Amino acid sequence: MMGDTTGLQINIGVAGLVRFMPMHLLLDGGGRVISAGPTLMRVLAGQEVTGARFEDLFEVRAPGSVVLVTDLVQRAGQRFRLVPLHNRRVGLRGLGLRLAGTDMVLLNLSFGIDLIAAVREYALTDADFAATDLAMEMLYLAEANAAVTNELRGLNLRLEGARMLAEEEALTDPLTGLRNRRAADLVLERLCASRAAFGVMHLDLDYFKAVNDTLGHAAGDFVLENVGRILREQVRAEDCAARIGGDEFVIILPGRTDAQVLQTIATRIIARVSEPMEFEGSPCKISGSIGIVRSSDLTAPDAAQVLVASDRALYAAKHAGRGQAVLLSGECG
Amino acid sequence: MDALLLRSLQGYVRDTFGHPAWTAICRRADLNFETFEPMLRYESGMADRVASHAAYTLGRSVDTIWEDMGTYLVTNPGHEGVRRLLRFGGSSFADFLHSLEEMPGRARLAMPDLDLPEFTLNQVSEDCFEIRCRSPIGGMKRVLVGMLTAMADDYGALCLIDGDTDGLIKVRILDSAHATGRRFDLTLPERSE
Repeated sequence: MMGDTTGLQINIGVAGLVRFMPMHLLLDGGGRVISAGPTLMRVLAGQEVTGARFEDLFEVRAPGSVVLVTDLVQRAGQRFRLVPLHNRRVGLRGLGLRLAGTDMVLLNLSFGIDLIAAVREYALTDADFAATDLAMEMLYLAEANAAVTNELRGLNLRLEGARMLAEEEALTDPLTGLRNRRAADLVLERLCASRAAFGVMHLDLDYFKAVNDTLGHAAGDFVLENVGRILREQVRAEDCAARIGGDEFVIILPGRTDAQVLQTIATRIIARVSEPMEFEGSPCKISGSIGIVRSSDLTAPDAAQVLVASDRALYAAKHAGRGQAVLLSGECG
Repeated sequence: MDALLLRSLQGYVRDTFGHPAWTAICRRADLNFETFEPMLRYESGMADRVASHAAYTLGRSVDTIWEDMGTYLVTNPGHEGVRRLLRFGGSSFADFLHSLEEMPGRARLAMPDLDLPEFTLNQVSEDCFEIRCRSPIGGMKRVLVGMLTAMADDYGALCLIDGDTDGLIKVRILDSAHATGRRFDLTLPERSE
């Protein structure tokens, strides 16, 4: 609480002003500079400050239409914003007061939100600010914030990498490196939804069970890996080759609906799959049957319908004798 | 806080002893990962647990590891941000020591949920200080000793720092301007990106 301060005169002296307000400006009745704080002097460096007129050093940005310091202090209690005329990049704000019993005007200024720019521009240090000034805290906060943001950005990037990897793993068949059932469904759904033209081959291995039963699972896995490699070699980058079951594969070929071309590709795959393979000295003789369907043969198909139709074509291929590729057309799923 | 220490420990071990050493430590600690994220949370006590495995694997005492890691955090160019944030504490090493008590408050401005340890500074005489550090992490005091040693260097001050007294760190400043300290500008130069 304040006691009775009526008539109390406080003499802080210029040295006190310098210490408490390193950015003060003391002006005489004519608006000429008597003294300026050392930090403000750095802002005004290169100019004759003592004796200079206020309006030759600063432009008042707010309140509007004010030029002279006398007008400025008449709006007592209002804070104002200034820019130094010789360097408009760093704004200042402050408060002014006519000193009682004199015609002197005292302004106290600060950098406000332009603090960081000012520190950089004038190479200010800790010693340029009053001990009570929160400038250091603000600089600290700006830098700490930047550091935290930077860390978060790094974390986001790392998480995004991990997410992409997990997604890739979730769509891959680990044994063959082909896509899996889920991936094939997604591709089919996307193609059906966009009404794109595409061909689908449904491959089932022949005699695979015999290899598994006589030579064991390791031999079976070896055969599946081999088939995976063959399929990867036989399809284009935009095609999707997936293992959707034990020895069942699906190949989705966007844009391919020519019966002749599909038949040729399927025949080539069967030929490659039927080539002799050897597992630890024992021959693994397998072959493959392929059912082929085309989107153009189905009316408004969805993924499930396409697979049903390709399964039917596969059944027809098996029925026609193994090692065959059969394209089922003219039949609506 | 465990997350920050674990991430720092990871950086320190990898940079100083190589990636295989860190892999061996993680394996010994039964972790199924090797990368700690500073912005995530880990179970409390994990930093001390991993550090004890590091001590075994590297054949050094836990205290030495934490202390060296503290120094590494301040002096490693890859962690310049840490040094800078600490230097905001004051214009001299003594000033900096006085700012330690404010550190948790400052850190909370940027990361409200960071549970930084509490420091209490007692100035015994003009050049003698006692720092008490309260943290659930056992290694915290040693990390601080390492950081203080590096910060004294940074300010160019010659000090005796004794972290062996139970619960207390004693700092005696022999010469506050023993050497030229490292330069510290209040702002980083504007990035030209």
